[in-house]
Amino acid sequence: MSAATGAGASSGAGATDPEDAARALADLVRTAGRDVLATLARWTGNLALAEDAVQDAGLRALQTWPRDGIPDNPVAWLRTTARRRAVDLIRREAARGAKEALATGPVFAADLPEDEPDPDVVDDDLLRLVFTCCHPSLARETRVALALRTLCGLSVEEVARALLVSEATMAKRLTRARQKIRLAGIPYRVPSADDLPERWDTVLATTYLLFNEGYAATAGLELTRPELVANALRLSRLLHRLRPQDAGATGLLALILLQDSRRAARTDAQGAAVLLADQDRTLWDARAVAEAVPLVGEGLRLSPGHPDPYVVQAAIAACHALAPTWQETDWSAIESWYEVLLRVDSGPVVRLNHAVAVAEARGPAAGLALVDAVVGLQDYPLWHATRAALLRRLDRPAEAAAAEARARALPLNAVQRDLLER
Amino acid sequence: MTQYAALIYSADVDWTLPEYADVTKEYAAFAEAAGAVIRGGAALYPTSTATSVRVEGKGGKILTTDGPYAETKEALTGFYLLECADLDEAVRVAATIPGAWDGVVEVRPVIEFPM
Repeated sequence: MSAATGAGASSGAGATDPEDAARALADLVRTAGRDVLATLARWTGNLALAEDAVQDAGLRALQTWPRDGIPDNPVAWLRTTARRRAVDLIRREAARGAKEALATGPVFAADLPEDEPDPDVVDDDLLRLVFTCCHPSLARETRVALALRTLCGLSVEEVARALLVSEATMAKRLTRARQKIRLAGIPYRVPSADDLPERWDTVLATTYLLFNEGYAATAGLELTRPELVANALRLSRLLHRLRPQDAGATGLLALILLQDSRRAARTDAQGAAVLLADQDRTLWDARAVAEAVPLVGEGLRLSPGHPDPYVVQAAIAACHALAPTWQETDWSAIESWYEVLLRVDSGPVVRLNHAVAVAEARGPAAGLALVDAVVGLQDYPLWHATRAALLRRLDRPAEAAAAEARARALPLNAVQRDLLER
Repeated sequence: MTQYAALIYSADVDWTLPEYADVTKEYAAFAEAAGAVIRGGAALYPTSTATSVRVEGKGGKILTTDGPYAETKEALTGFYLLECADLDEAVRVAATIPGAWDGVVEVRPVIEFPM
């Protein structure tokens, strides 16, 4: 199935009220636009120019499609329109003379191909674009912003809103990033076999960072920022489609699906956070879980002997997802998975989560000993909150109260703070 | 192809002293291995030999100060001009410059002004 029909199928269906229809149309333009952008970036060799052209084409689609109807092949329509626009831009640039051309970067051939690229070619283009946007020579927050703008097709204003910075700041950051990509010669290609594993890790890490920022927002008033989560999920689906045999991409998609499956249960009617133990499990998204669990198995099959860290985290999330209640959770399985995870990632947060699993599997004293052995989390409110909970279970109320006070003194988003205060 | 300046920031030493003979040999080995992409470069005397020049407005009084523009622990001690296909290649080459493990190598694209 081609990228074009895939994008078409996900749109419009069942959209009855005008708001739904508008959203479906915007989604279609966004997904199709991303495919077009990938191809146009290769054709022109200039990401900024390609983005301008695709944005223009997208705006025209949003103006004309509601009136004239959605074309049979929206991707081809957008590609033709964006291509024409790119040729205009290139001509205009050429006419501005050498001095201005220096400021905007080299101008590329004005005769762009007219034929429709194969779906396989579009996928190759997308993969190249993914590697460009997640290049290690770009700062982490720049990669996240580029992922949203270029790979998820958000407007600059939407990216700014999603990442809680002003539109002007975001516009500046994105302009600088595109300038670096062009002038420093960040390549638009899939890295060599030698570099590929590390570079792919950066791609997955960027996607996971995007998800995490949405799932456990560190800034702002809300506990989650669903639009970031939705975009991380979309990006993770794309990565899995582009490299279906990759354990990391498989595990990451499963992990995001599983964590996000709890979304409806994570906050109560007042918007306050609900702990996993207290969540109404009937609110968990069974469809997401059903999609994710086979992916976990697939990820394990793809990384035998040395499971990929995302797959292991997804396996842990699957243990929770499949447990009918907190009490009936298979804690010893979770403890074992954390031990596997610790072999590849012995960071303090993983050790803290391992300690929580041990506390459930073997009692609060064993858990607390492990929590106390974790160093480097003195500024992490959940470390103190976990200590407080375990101390309370061990009937040591004075120490528990002290730990709670420490937890409360540390910065948190408003919803998490609310949770600690109860 | 893009030209890149690979600016080497490392300990502010005098490369001509015999005790740095081994390091200079390493640089010579690098220069030979990367000969195909090196378009130029130089090693610099220590910053104690530097003079910073400033003029009070164009055509104005010349002010000189003894020493480098910025006093830092690691100083600009040399540079190469590299011609590479893209940043990935430039980074790969820069990573083989001895300064990359003795200090830091900053890779910057070079402006090619049109004639």
